[in-house]
Amino acid sequence: MHMADALLSPAVATAMYAASGTAAAISIRRLKKDEEHSKLPVMAVSAAMIFAGQMINYTIPGTGSSGHLCGGMLLSALLGPYAGFLSMIVVLAIQCLFFADGGLMALGANVWNMAFYGCFVGYFLIWRPIMRSRLFGASDDHNAQRLRIILASVLGCVITLQLGAFSVVLETTLSGITELPFGAFCGLMLPIHLAIGFVEGLITAAVLTFVYEARPELLQEVTPAEAGSGKLSLKQTVAILAVVTCLVGGGLSLYASSNPDGLEWALFGNAEAGYNENMGLDEDNFGVSSTAAETAAGIQETTSFLPDYAFKDSDSAAGTTVSGLVGSAMVAGAAALICLAGGFFRPKKTA
Amino acid sequence: MNKIDQALYEFREMDELADQDSLVHRFPVLPKVLLTILYILIVLSFHKYDLSSLSVMILFPVFFYQLSGIPLRKCFYKLRFVLPLVMAVGILNPFFDHTVIMKIGPLSVTGGWISMLTLMLKGILALTASFLLVATSGIARICAALRRMHVPSVLVTLLLLTYRYITVLSEEVSVMSNAYHLRAPRQKGIEYSAWGSFLGQLLLRSMDRAEEIYQAMLLRGFHGHFHYVDEKPASPKDWLTGLLIGALIVFCRYYNVASFLGSLFVR
Amino acid sequence: MIEMKHVSFRYEAGKEILDDISFRLEAGESVGLIGANGAGKSTIMKLLSGILFGDGEVLIAKTAVNPKNLYEIRRKLGYVLQDSDDQMFMPTVYEDMIFAPRNYGLSKEETEERIDAVLEKLDLKELKHSRNHKISGGEKRMAAIATILAMDPEVILMDEPTASLDPYNRRLVINAINSLSQTKLITSHDLDMILDTCGRVILLDQGKIIADGKTEEILRDQKLLEAHRMELPLSFTRR
Repeated sequence: MHMADALLSPAVATAMYAASGTAAAISIRRLKKDEEHSKLPVMAVSAAMIFAGQMINYTIPGTGSSGHLCGGMLLSALLGPYAGFLSMIVVLAIQCLFFADGGLMALGANVWNMAFYGCFVGYFLIWRPIMRSRLFGASDDHNAQRLRIILASVLGCVITLQLGAFSVVLETTLSGITELPFGAFCGLMLPIHLAIGFVEGLITAAVLTFVYEARPELLQEVTPAEAGSGKLSLKQTVAILAVVTCLVGGGLSLYASSNPDGLEWALFGNAEAGYNENMGLDEDNFGVSSTAAETAAGIQETTSFLPDYAFKDSDSAAGTTVSGLVGSAMVAGAAALICLAGGFFRPKKTA
Repeated sequence: MNKIDQALYEFREMDELADQDSLVHRFPVLPKVLLTILYILIVLSFHKYDLSSLSVMILFPVFFYQLSGIPLRKCFYKLRFVLPLVMAVGILNPFFDHTVIMKIGPLSVTGGWISMLTLMLKGILALTASFLLVATSGIARICAALRRMHVPSVLVTLLLLTYRYITVLSEEVSVMSNAYHLRAPRQKGIEYSAWGSFLGQLLLRSMDRAEEIYQAMLLRGFHGHFHYVDEKPASPKDWLTGLLIGALIVFCRYYNVASFLGSLFVR
Repeated sequence: MIEMKHVSFRYEAGKEILDDISFRLEAGESVGLIGANGAGKSTIMKLLSGILFGDGEVLIAKTAVNPKNLYEIRRKLGYVLQDSDDQMFMPTVYEDMIFAPRNYGLSKEETEERIDAVLEKLDLKELKHSRNHKISGGEKRMAAIATILAMDPEVILMDEPTASLDPYNRRLVINAINSLSQTKLITSHDLDMILDTCGRVILLDQGKIIADGKTEEILRDQKLLEAHRMELPLSFTRR
């Protein structure tokens, strides 16, 4: 999800800096003067915690792959949108400066894609309305609060990640970097980030419900309640929510990829290339796996060009088989190459 | 080494690089920051087919890495985040863009290939530049430059405070994660039953820590001011040097040095 | 220099954390505050430094501690926290050391002089520009003490100053404590350290002062210590 410098034109990079800068200026103004100082340590420690917490791998049951924490939602639930946004900026700046995760010029865009949506949209349009609502029960009902927290976390992560992914596509396209048509690019990015968002949402929900049980006063917009008697276990709640979100998410992604069997083919080709092991939702792996998926889709697009490009004289049936073969071979080759590149640049594992 | 220890190691490494001494290290940070930004913006502004002009920009990092004594390979190691992403986007270009740009014998090179290479080169160059900035300055000096650039003090202070506690909390996470995996040797990550409590525990402890830090500040008379070491402002000579380098960068953007060099040998 | 008069503290009614505590430290005295976990040691420290407020009167240098005069009170009072990482929040040792003097309005030159004197005294000159996240645990503790001394306090509170230090660094800290002429109140479970640094000991259990007297007498009283979930210092048992 971190944009790289190379994917932006100077104009888009500058515009995104301006947009994020404005949001930062408003946030600083909104932090009250006295609050600014007393909140600094908690903002810094929370930012540091997000940084460290994002390096933990959470195993996703049944898949053997792992997911990560969503910083924006967690920070705004803990600190409120303004302080949360500033803390997120700092996390992204450190990732960019010290780990080359994102780029110096892309920082403005990254702040917008990840921090702005996560903190402002996530807080004002999702977290606060849901926490203030009477959804699932009375405002101080213990179980209802838990459910609201889980719902807000999952929904928040899914929606803000979708917005972020959409912005990545928009920014890259506006920068004139990619030849991939806007629609196809969206069709690739959005479903993948739907899955990531769902998992990140669950992890965030798990952390926030834990905080709610232990110290509810730490959360924004949460009224501490008497511990309920028959409380729904996290497992049950997660199971219920998983089913609901899978249904909704599945529908959405089908809709998103209604564009000719692109995604299925891409994912299938991807699995075929032997990249299903640990491909899942680990974010840097995901960079790679989505690479494979995108490559595959790209090749699929190309194979559809093949009949009128390379095999002009051959009849369409032969063209399809040949193009199919070439396509598969190229997927395998590209995947191998990418794995190689990934392995080359990844930390050497020492026992 | 787990991911978090790796991160801690990289932090320390960056600090050590920044502690070295060279002409590039000694150059005042404010002009250095501005030059880095100018360089990256110029690199990004090259047209997607303008590979030959862009190639000249390689010379800047190569030269300054040599001058600073920072090993380029340390920087290439960091490419692992950026390059796959850039490749993912760039690799599609050859399939969509079939404009024939040039012919080398029987081989016709399409715009897609050129723009892919341009994109990757841009990614690499942008990273080498920002890496050099951080590796020869360190966070404290960069923050001093940010203050001079009138970045609000809340943000700069927050950056330094966060940087201070990232290592503290990362070490805690590292210990926790080792403790977890010692008792769950076959698990690759944290299992879902512990999703909430693992980070949740850290979160609660961190909130207590934040309170303790705030008390520590108040106990030493804190009333809103942080006093950091400021470096000497850049001298006119430094600014002149910076201006010359900047002019050279801009020159390379508008004058195709590569094709000029080529024309010396090939007619 | 430090005085508590009938101080009580509770978070919830009926659950007294501290119950009618009164004691007094003369200028220059070094006193150990000992007791089992949960005896109320840290609460006393927090009341003295104005982090918490309870019933009764707390006096530092003859001034009553109240929410309005904290800035003045804390100018006279240095508090060495147990976790040096919490205390050393600035990027470098130097920046941490100038934090308090600059906040209390000292000029740059005065601050510089004072810092150099403290570093000289504690033999820490080579740490001056070290980064806080790179120095060892022992160095960090010494540096934390240095940041407090840079305030030039009249009263020093120390919370577990030797906790989790190796024997060498523990000895350095003990020597540093003994070289300080300020009034000191030290809480610790390291009774041997208390024996080495404090002439007087206050024993606390369940929010009450159980004993207050000469270190030698209280720490040799096996019955008294064991009745309050404590043990004899190792140096008394291994002879």
